[in-house]
Amino acid sequence: MKLKTLIVSACLVAGFATSAMAEYPEKKIEIIVGYSAGGGTDVMARTVAPFLERYLGNDATVVVKNMPGASGQIGVTEVANAKPDGYTIGTYNLPGMMARTLDRKAGYSAESFTYLANVVDDPNVIVTPKGSDITSMDKLVAAARKEPGGMTVGMSSLGGDDQFFLIRLQKESGAEYTIVPFKGSAPARTAVMGGHVNMGIFNLSEVLGFRDDLNIVGVARPERSDLAPNVPTFAEQGFNVVNGSMRGFVAPANLPKDVEDKLVDAFKKAYQDPEFTKAMVASGNPVSLAAGADFKALNQEQFEFAKKVWETTPWK
Amino acid sequence: MYGNLIDALPSVLGWANLAAVVVGVLAGICVGALPGLSATMAISVLIPFTFGLDPLVALGMMAGIYNGAMYGGAIPAVLLRIPGTPAAVATSFDGYPMAQSGRGGYALQVAVVSSAIGGIVSAVVLMLLAPPLAKVTLLFGPAEIFWVAVFGLSSIVFLLGGDPLKGLISAAFGVTVSLIGSDTITGYDRLTFGHLELLDGINIVVLLVGLYALPPAIDLLEDPSFEGTGKRFTLGTGSIWKAIPSMLRFWKTWIRSSFIGVLVGILPGAGGSMAAFLSYNEARRAAKNPDDWGKGEPEGVAAAETANNADTASAMIPALTLGIPGTSVAAVMLGGLLIHGLQPGPLLFRDNPDLVFGFMWQFLFGAILLIFLGGSLATNSFAQVLRIPRPLLGAIIIALVFIGVYSINGRMFDVYLTLGFGLVGYFMDKLRFPLPPVVLGLILGSFAEENLRLALRIGRGDWSTLWHNTTSQVIIVITIAVVVGPMILRVIRSRKSDTEA
Repeated sequence: MKLKTLIVSACLVAGFATSAMAEYPEKKIEIIVGYSAGGGTDVMARTVAPFLERYLGNDATVVVKNMPGASGQIGVTEVANAKPDGYTIGTYNLPGMMARTLDRKAGYSAESFTYLANVVDDPNVIVTPKGSDITSMDKLVAAARKEPGGMTVGMSSLGGDDQFFLIRLQKESGAEYTIVPFKGSAPARTAVMGGHVNMGIFNLSEVLGFRDDLNIVGVARPERSDLAPNVPTFAEQGFNVVNGSMRGFVAPANLPKDVEDKLVDAFKKAYQDPEFTKAMVASGNPVSLAAGADFKALNQEQFEFAKKVWETTPWK
Repeated sequence: MYGNLIDALPSVLGWANLAAVVVGVLAGICVGALPGLSATMAISVLIPFTFGLDPLVALGMMAGIYNGAMYGGAIPAVLLRIPGTPAAVATSFDGYPMAQSGRGGYALQVAVVSSAIGGIVSAVVLMLLAPPLAKVTLLFGPAEIFWVAVFGLSSIVFLLGGDPLKGLISAAFGVTVSLIGSDTITGYDRLTFGHLELLDGINIVVLLVGLYALPPAIDLLEDPSFEGTGKRFTLGTGSIWKAIPSMLRFWKTWIRSSFIGVLVGILPGAGGSMAAFLSYNEARRAAKNPDDWGKGEPEGVAAAETANNADTASAMIPALTLGIPGTSVAAVMLGGLLIHGLQPGPLLFRDNPDLVFGFMWQFLFGAILLIFLGGSLATNSFAQVLRIPRPLLGAIIIALVFIGVYSINGRMFDVYLTLGFGLVGYFMDKLRFPLPPVVLGLILGSFAEENLRLALRIGRGDWSTLWHNTTSQVIIVITIAVVVGPMILRVIRSRKSDTEA
């Protein structure tokens, strides 16, 4: 009797062990978000979660855990140090996460992660107040050249995509601007609308709801965005600048290959789901996929640009 | 637009949506009443759960919590001298003395009626004037906001207490604490000593409960004998409907404080505490018996409570129309909107009128419900905490405070910080340093600095940009009139009486 029980339990244990190896996921997956509930990144994670559950199969449960603080650094450090078993993944923002490894002592580096998928690419835009006569890049650059530093540019914080965009633009256009870094994009946008600064640099999703009160001068994408088809790209206006804010998902480094494949695959399938795109756009997240190796390359490219900027014109 | 307002009404009156507001108000009162728990926290805890709810149900709960908590904060402020929320600090000035003299029940009734009035005015303003008032917000660039902050800071003069030097030291302490964290303009770490947890600065709740909740709780433990038991139990609670007629004489304060609250609400960043302080000062200045204030004048409670609720719905005006929250609660509420795919901005009103205007109705209902739910809940339930033996009460408060502080970011670091501030607060209390200047200093110190530096960047180092435009000049004149005016008047009057003598 005793022996029988032992054998049965041994079989059960073995059975569970093998099924655990074979069938990830077998327990709940946590997405660590480095911002508080209700922020853009948080909403992205919560929108993605049900689609991940659907495409991971195996009755997967995905829950979001907020660990806000230090512009996402506390959360992403937690992911870097988590056990690489596929049950802890986290949101990841570019260029912010890489820029913070330069201007601050960070508890992680580009090598700390397995890059799963970047799902959001929110391109930079230049806006001017509605009453302003600066409605195109020609007029803007002419105004900026007339008096170096005479154009005041509202944006959210230094060392982010807004500033990197301006640096790319300055290189292309050869004009100087005065940066006015607000605490977040909403106050900066209000200052542009009130005419307190001459222009502003934002992400497309941040100004779409304010189309009627602002001129959108251009968008930093290779081609026009479906979300604002009337807005010309900078390339069309003779300035070859592409830049934006990106949000995606990473796991700790050294994730088992089969788990990585499964997660990347689930992200790819979610991305192809039209419902997913609809939900993401509704929450202000323009989608664009870079999965697995593509994401890693994207991260490397962003890191190298940030490093170059940091070495030549440090932002602090 | 007003057609949309009427169209939105039927869906708000659905039972689920109404129930959401009722639940929200009740939850808000409880959260506000428990020291260490704030509306900001309650709503951010709620947000993830609302993901699957109908948007109006979720928004109704949030509107209810906001209104409820702004009043709820008055309950411990009156009964225990522990403001339940940052905005209730000014309520304790006269509320606690009233409770000590056996009029705590009346103080709570004044608080609930005033809160409801402030909330109703604010909701009506939100409903009728949101788009035009958003244009007023646009007038305020960094230079103008800097002067608003200066105005707020200069009102510290009235909060200094008996010893101006100690008051100024308190204010300086608050300003210093406000500097902690990453410099918002250059990103340099200031006074963080390498702690990532300090990069975002000190959360106002951490400071508040440290300074305000821990020392009185320790007092309760230090002195287990129940001073004036009998006196405290005569809370003086009659029916709230019988008490209302006696409050009608506060009508001027209600109007003035509602106006101040709404105005502070539409200006970004200042929030309910500044509204309450300003309106308390103004009401005292207008009073015939300013010397009785701070000793249990019901009108002081009315002034503070009207203003901190008048700030609720109006703070949603810049939040909904411009995406800039007037208070930290409005900031988390924006998150709650975003999670339901509602992006702030002028298009929100056009694309989702039912939701936006429904949300505004919910604010109004939440404010009206306060009278029905708040009055009896406070006097029948929360006031009974005073029956708990003092050492037990002290221990419960300390436990609640730590749970609340821990749950802000889910980390022990904030609990240790609170303990540190508790120690500071304990000694400040014993050495008779006034606490309100610390709170104002924390809220407005780095806020003033940030906007000054932004304004100077815009002006490219030219200080004259600070007073070049009309809006700035108006605020400067008001500041001088309010702060310096009374001093000059006093000097003139004393000269006069000298010559007469």
